[in-house]
Amino acid sequence: MSEYIGVVACFIIAGVVAGGMVVLASVLGKKTPSLAKSEPFECGEIPFSLPGGKLAIKFYLTAILFILFDVEVVFLYPWAVIYREIGMVGLVEMGIFLGILLVGYVYAWSNKALDW
Amino acid sequence: MPSVPITDLALLIPELILVGMALVLLLVSSRIRKATHATTATVLAAVAASLAAGWLIPEPPKLGFFGMITVDGYSQFFKVLIASALALTTLLSVKRVNTEHVRPAEYHALLLLASAGMMFAVSSLDLMTLYLGLELTTLCSYVLVGITVDKPESNEAAIKYFLLGSFASALFLYGIALIYGATGATDFETIAQVLSESSLESNWLFVVGGSLLAAGLAFKISAVPFHAWAPDAYEGAHAPVAAFLATASKVAGLAALGRVCLVVFSSEAQIVSMVLGGLAALSIVVGSIIALAQTNIKRLLAYSSIAHAGYALLGFVSGTDAGAEATMTYAYLYVFMTLGAFGVVIALEDRGETLDGYQGLAVKRPITAALMLLFLLSLTGIPPTAGFVAKFVVILSVVREGYYALAILAVLCSVITAFVYLRLVVLMYMKEPADAASADPDEAPSSRLPLAVSVALAVAALVTLIGGVFPGILTSGVVAP
Repeated sequence: MSEYIGVVACFIIAGVVAGGMVVLASVLGKKTPSLAKSEPFECGEIPFSLPGGKLAIKFYLTAILFILFDVEVVFLYPWAVIYREIGMVGLVEMGIFLGILLVGYVYAWSNKALDW
Repeated sequence: MPSVPITDLALLIPELILVGMALVLLLVSSRIRKATHATTATVLAAVAASLAAGWLIPEPPKLGFFGMITVDGYSQFFKVLIASALALTTLLSVKRVNTEHVRPAEYHALLLLASAGMMFAVSSLDLMTLYLGLELTTLCSYVLVGITVDKPESNEAAIKYFLLGSFASALFLYGIALIYGATGATDFETIAQVLSESSLESNWLFVVGGSLLAAGLAFKISAVPFHAWAPDAYEGAHAPVAAFLATASKVAGLAALGRVCLVVFSSEAQIVSMVLGGLAALSIVVGSIIALAQTNIKRLLAYSSIAHAGYALLGFVSGTDAGAEATMTYAYLYVFMTLGAFGVVIALEDRGETLDGYQGLAVKRPITAALMLLFLLSLTGIPPTAGFVAKFVVILSVVREGYYALAILAVLCSVITAFVYLRLVVLMYMKEPADAASADPDEAPSSRLPLAVSVALAVAALVTLIGGVFPGILTSGVVAP
């Protein structure tokens, strides 16, 4: 454990220095609040709407389906690499896994998640 | 590289049945409009899983998946219990699912998957599989709490539960990581071996890891001080979901906690007893006292379930096999009486949500009121109901090991909870119905309970009575891990 003491000390010193600066600045600092300072952006135009605007919820649905299936299919790669070693058992288990994945796909399809 | 023999899948038959049914429900989800079909399918799956789990209990216990999963008397007992809770919850929710526009296939699939996760957790002999099982359960529970999407309070409850729950999961996982750092293993046997060879005091990494693990599990059973989520989640959730969380979910957490304490930490029984004793005492006191101030019945039952988690922990405090068996008996009887009490709340629909709704219930709906009386007496722990037997065995187990202060505290708080529950009885039996207008014929059609709800209530009432009169019959299957 002793080799980590330096790291712990570093964390503590960093915390004390950073926290101290914030506290000292807010306690000792001179405060002159003004209207301009309380605006969201201190320079340029006053914003009249938040950036981004409205976005169709369908993008969200498509994105989440993509992530789901994409991440799950990644499991095929390590399986393919050691396929010869695990043999039949691996094949059956991958079959079960893909079967469950397919149920998810059918579920998404039949609930019209794939329609635009 | 060794591979898992495919026959190991046979150890997981109850889980496979539940998962299989959930997948089937998801496949046909767009065709199921009414709850009845989904309910029938779920109840059938639950009964099949319960039979599969209870049919053959291997002696000696079987191990599978490189020793990560075990099938023994302890795991099978809890699997049967979880499957029964699932079946009863499903029966109780049949009407609510239709009236509250819950999508039936998804709702039942989530219940099935949550139960499968619990079964997985009670079978696991490895911290990773334990985490996976509990996580599958909680992920489904978050969605179940928020399943009535058109109700803002339900969404709020789900978000609160999700935030606190994922925090607890993170603590649990961090605890696993630290224990792995300290011992180089995640399976219970190796950890227990390393622990017995070195003393706990010298190994701070392990102490911190163990504490985080305990905190994560205490969250699952909503023991004080990790209970804050329960009242909010139960209040906002659809009532059958609250019943499911209060019974199946809590029992699975108890089973996991019991195995971790009695197997992993077996060489440090003194410290385990101290920690669990503290959790139990706090839960009993806080749960009983705060329940006094509740006016919402689901919050009241939530605090009552917190207190009951404390009582159930008493068995593990004693650290003996007899103590573990006492906790198992407690868990078994607790599930049925709590499901019964929630069942009455569900049967009464909107008027069942607040205490005022119970005013004069005995006049208008004598049978429902009588059932509620039975469940409340049982929750209080009055003979000849199951609640008395349950409290008796756990308090006896701590007295035998000499924890007299804890036993006295438990009995005293039992008196306080008597006030909580009997207040409801007084409302039902000794007050006139509040509004004369409700005696009109509009009340008549809704006072007939749906068949499924009646069946579930009858089963719960039967177990509560038989468990109180002949406790030996129902709890013959208890086996310590």
